[in-house]
Amino acid sequence: MSTRIQASSRDLEGPLLELTDVSTHFRTPRGLVRAVDGVSFTLERGKALGIVGESGSGKTILSRSIMGLLPPRGTVRGGSIKFEGREIGNLDRKAMRGVWGKEMAMIFQDPMTSLNPVMKIGKQIAEPLQIHLGMNKQLAWATAERLLQDVRIPEAKRRLDQYPHEMSGGMRQRVMIAIALACGPTALFADEPTTALDVTVQAQILDLLGEQRRDRNMSLILVTHDLGVVAGHTDEIAVMYGGKLVEKASTKGLFANMKMPYTEALLQSIPKLDDPSHTRLNAIAGRPPDLVNPPKGCRFAPRCPYASDKCINEEPPLVPTAEDPNHLYACWYPVGSPEYHEAKRRIAERTDDLATTTAAL
Amino acid sequence: MRYFLQRLLQFSIVFFIVTFAVMILMRLGLNAPGDPARTLLGGTADQALIDETTAKYRLDSNLFVQYFFWLKGMLTGDMGYSVPNSISVAAYIQTRAMTTILLGLYATFFAVLISVPLAVHQAYKRDSMFDKVGSGLSFVFVSVPAIVLAPILTIVLINETEISFGDYVLTIGGWFPRVGDKIYPWEDLWAHIENFFVPTLVLTLPLAAIYTRLLRGDMVQTLQADFVTLASAKGVSPRRVLWVHALRNSLFSFVTSIGTQLGAIVGGAIVVEQFFDLDGMGSMLVGAILSKDLFTVQSTAAILVACVVVVNLIVDLMYAVIDPRIRHMRALA
Amino acid sequence: MSTAVAPPPAATPEAPPAIEPAPFKPKRKRPSTGLIFACTFLFLLVFMAVFADYLGFIRYPDEKVLVDGKAGRYKLGPGWDAWFGTDGLSHDVFASCIYGARVTLQIGLFATAFGIVVGGFLGVLAGYFRKTTDRVVSIITDCLLAMPALLLAMILVSRLDDVRNDVTWLDWFSRKWQLVFTLGLLAVAPLARIVRAQTMSLREREFVLAARSLGAKPGRVILREILPNLIPAILTVAFTGLSIIIAAEGALAFLGLGVEIGTPTWGKLINDNRNQIDVAWWATFFPCLMLFLTVVSFNVIGDRLSRRFDIRQAGV
Repeated sequence: MSTRIQASSRDLEGPLLELTDVSTHFRTPRGLVRAVDGVSFTLERGKALGIVGESGSGKTILSRSIMGLLPPRGTVRGGSIKFEGREIGNLDRKAMRGVWGKEMAMIFQDPMTSLNPVMKIGKQIAEPLQIHLGMNKQLAWATAERLLQDVRIPEAKRRLDQYPHEMSGGMRQRVMIAIALACGPTALFADEPTTALDVTVQAQILDLLGEQRRDRNMSLILVTHDLGVVAGHTDEIAVMYGGKLVEKASTKGLFANMKMPYTEALLQSIPKLDDPSHTRLNAIAGRPPDLVNPPKGCRFAPRCPYASDKCINEEPPLVPTAEDPNHLYACWYPVGSPEYHEAKRRIAERTDDLATTTAAL
Repeated sequence: MRYFLQRLLQFSIVFFIVTFAVMILMRLGLNAPGDPARTLLGGTADQALIDETTAKYRLDSNLFVQYFFWLKGMLTGDMGYSVPNSISVAAYIQTRAMTTILLGLYATFFAVLISVPLAVHQAYKRDSMFDKVGSGLSFVFVSVPAIVLAPILTIVLINETEISFGDYVLTIGGWFPRVGDKIYPWEDLWAHIENFFVPTLVLTLPLAAIYTRLLRGDMVQTLQADFVTLASAKGVSPRRVLWVHALRNSLFSFVTSIGTQLGAIVGGAIVVEQFFDLDGMGSMLVGAILSKDLFTVQSTAAILVACVVVVNLIVDLMYAVIDPRIRHMRALA
Repeated sequence: MSTAVAPPPAATPEAPPAIEPAPFKPKRKRPSTGLIFACTFLFLLVFMAVFADYLGFIRYPDEKVLVDGKAGRYKLGPGWDAWFGTDGLSHDVFASCIYGARVTLQIGLFATAFGIVVGGFLGVLAGYFRKTTDRVVSIITDCLLAMPALLLAMILVSRLDDVRNDVTWLDWFSRKWQLVFTLGLLAVAPLARIVRAQTMSLREREFVLAARSLGAKPGRVILREILPNLIPAILTVAFTGLSIIIAAEGALAFLGLGVEIGTPTWGKLINDNRNQIDVAWWATFFPCLMLFLTVVSFNVIGDRLSRRFDIRQAGV
């Protein structure tokens, strides 16, 4: 039984989160960095969405944009972000403060630097309770203790008086989750929550997140570069590249029927446990695009093995697949199309040629 | 606890070495027997008195013996005798100590009072006009030594100064005419303020500048840390984030400097007291050094060194109070 | 202060994203106004101080300024005879300032050099050999730092006179050199600290380890590998230290422990004229100003250097 402190909701019908053509640009000495460039999607209540992409794809900035946690100066925001039907994209930090912690919460990547090193754990958890829910100190600390139990930290009472440096990485991450869950937010953003943790602990944390989500009927947005992380723990996946959304589908649908070659490449780059040793890692060649001067066609084209002239010159729109209207992708020659197979054959030929020539030498 | 004792030992060694060195220094060049006494009593004193003084303070034994007896005296409250002034050093200090202590306390207190809010706000509004101007001012005041500030403030604030541009005469100052009277707060508060304001100002401004610079630097760094963003993301108000979360993590250099600046404060106090004719320990020391008043210098210097050492020790211990990680480390050590 | 716009701060860890492809030419920052002013001022000052004897517009400091006969405290402004006015002895304040600069700068330079040599030596020893050497040096620096600096300086200077009188071969040890020695001594501790810290970190760098693994003796390693890399740090502290030393010299002169009578220095001028402030404020003001500007200028340079070389020195 977990502690249920549900914040009062507004628009119980309809999607929780609605993004329409959201963009976030930064003014830098080099130029305007288009970190997020026109992203749209919706998220239903209680669902888990995974946002996947390399570093530089804009995924972290997207999640921060939704929350509004952007630096005050030099940022240009565009598009509309609706949370429970309310427009929050144009609210400043002061206005958002009422939302943060109470309705939307975020957990960060590195638990060591994300917790205040000189403040007791209990106090850090109790703080949002006291601020948002007006609890007095005693009640807040008691609630904090129960929250620690919810996130499965043993000896919760003792832990309340401890400091972050007295805990292990996994435990600190759990504390962060406890802090985030304290006021019962309707949406939880997890920004690379497991990257700084050991593999064994990763699974525990992800399971914990999933469990809490279901218990509280909370939406979860999981931002990561690791497809493996989202595979078992999300309902939907959105793939980002170069600041744009390039594919979005239900998790099952994505893995079964991925359309974007980038997604395919991502999947192939995951090293598998049962591969023979010394198997070459399939890294994606090249580097993420320059977001000040992005390529004018498909942003992935420079690195796509199947790219053609059209890809380089024209940007593909985000369209639904034939089989499933909820599966969106942006590619001229998606996986499975005749052009794709053609390109693949040509590549295979080339590699074959190369192999025969090297063999002949 | 072990750590504390270790530091205490360290500081004790330093104390002994320094006070011994002071003694040696003061006796430099006085090598012939009877010389120290002669110096103390003045060239015209008769031999009998010289011999008596020499015996009394064992001025003819070797240095270690002298030191030992002096130290013994210090511990029992006998700080020696200031012959030129015909008064025991202890009594002499008593008449002068209050002024200097007040100056030092005021300076530190007001410097902290000014610098902390200033630095916090600067870090918060980083690179704003406020920040830039503040940093510029801090820089200027950091480089202004007491000998410069004192006269300037005197011209501007204390004396009525007339600056004439051709026929036009500009008069400034004259607001604190009475400086240098030794009036204590419990005697006449307003007069006390009048007397102490400018001297305190001279000491406070550079100090505040130093504190501000250090604190701002650390705050700016802290504010970039993840946990600050997290605190904001929890919905904590910026004021609370600044003062409760960020500040406590940024105090390191600031607290350190309180200890290291103590020596500078003493130096500044010496100059200020001389300049404004205040009867404090600073001017006492100047007089004593120039008139080769051995015991006064030795004992007073020892007291000052002890104070500096003690303050530094306290500062060191404060780290453990501020930062639980250090507490932890020291407990394990 | 930095003149470039800072990129989005670390609140958004992904910005700026990987940006290799586009060539990035950092804008050349022009030196700030403060730095220009500081260098100009110092240059002019040094120039005038060095060539004072040959520059026509600078009188000799003990020359009496005549305006309708002897004018003791004269006003500047109309009558451009004395730029900074004159003091109680009808001397030209401006000239006194320039000649005073000579002495002050000399003392400052030599004292800093002394501090660098001794402090640097100790610092390198402590940083390189560590353990006991480090302990010993640490105690020495602690002792130097335990005493309020001005107090130590006062005691030293006042006593060194007697030492000099006693010891015949120390006849050359005039007040000027006493000051150099004293102030240099004060500079030893901070320099030793910084040098020690730098040496300790340099010691672990690859090129030092490489030299050592080739069997180079410590002396050689220090000389060829470590010393050259200490120069940025030393330079930085030197300038800031110089400003402090000059301020200290001013204070000592003010207290009567400056250079012998005859040669004016700023501190002395301030002291001599401070009772006359209500009548002739310029006699005190301008020496103050000169002292201030000199100290600030050196400080500015030291500060810029420290930013350039990225040296943190809280509480030097």
